[in-house]
Amino acid sequence: MGLEKILGDGVLATRVSALVNWARQNALWPMPFGTACCAIEMMATLSSRFDMSRFGSEVIRFSPRQADLMIVSGRISIKMMPVLLKIWEQMPEPKWCISMGACASSGGVFDTYTLIQGVDQFIPVDVYIPGCPPRPENLIDGVRKIQEIVSKEKISDTKHGS
Amino acid sequence: MKSSDPVVTRFKERFGDEILSVEEFRGQVAISVKSARVLDILRALRDDAECPFDMLADLTAVDYLRLDHPERFAVVYQLYSLLRNERIRIKAYVGEARCEIESAQALWGDANWLEREVWDLYGIRFLNHPDLRRILMPDNYTGHPLRKDYPLKGRGERSNFPKYTVEEPS
Repeated sequence: MGLEKILGDGVLATRVSALVNWARQNALWPMPFGTACCAIEMMATLSSRFDMSRFGSEVIRFSPRQADLMIVSGRISIKMMPVLLKIWEQMPEPKWCISMGACASSGGVFDTYTLIQGVDQFIPVDVYIPGCPPRPENLIDGVRKIQEIVSKEKISDTKHGS
Repeated sequence: MKSSDPVVTRFKERFGDEILSVEEFRGQVAISVKSARVLDILRALRDDAECPFDMLADLTAVDYLRLDHPERFAVVYQLYSLLRNERIRIKAYVGEARCEIESAQALWGDANWLEREVWDLYGIRFLNHPDLRRILMPDNYTGHPLRKDYPLKGRGERSNFPKYTVEEPS
């Protein structure tokens, strides 16, 4: 990296939480919960044109046990909600959640018997992304917001939400 | 197809008592019938010698709540004849009190899932159906949401979920 030329065999002094947060925020492994058109924008965000890997979170994990960032992108119906809850419970701590788009955040235009009016009623959401669907830039902004949240956490905080 | 087509004429002669109305609109024939002998009617159309309607293109239902119709519900069969390239629509009226009709599953296999959908969303029971379970809504759902008197925003189904809670390690 060239860093060893400057530092040599020296020692760096830092706080543990700063080091851990630095590692966590730059290696977010998202669990995509894509159920609608927002998922298409999420795929665009991951692909080469927008390239979410520039921000260290390109390793999409389809197993919740290997992921620490859930991106709920799309409508959640009453039949899907138990699945979403189970997958969120399967994700190990620490974990964060992005509610992407109008439907996941508030139900959107679908104010009907079958659609959950915002997933934040049942799982803790850290960042909401407005839009229908949001542009890839918005999702990248959401991930950057998550990174800000991660950078302020303490190492002693082990549980999520209140 | 016109309502003067021989297959419609034959149908009228055979099931005159069952027919409520025969309508033609823009080359489409729709025959409204009573639901009691619907299976005989459908079988006759399927096995017609000259114009066999051998394909059930769609099976759905309509809720005519507070509209001027013979009964509240109509089960609609969209039939298609592969041989003659003709289509016909059969509407079988079903009342609210005795909300059931014979299953067409024995005539066309694809009626199985379509009837399950009608049962799920309209609550019309299909007699002699081999597997009448819900197909779209969750298994524990109560009510039939496509009925016109079902509230659009539901009866609280969308908010009856447990909240995610963190269990403290003991």
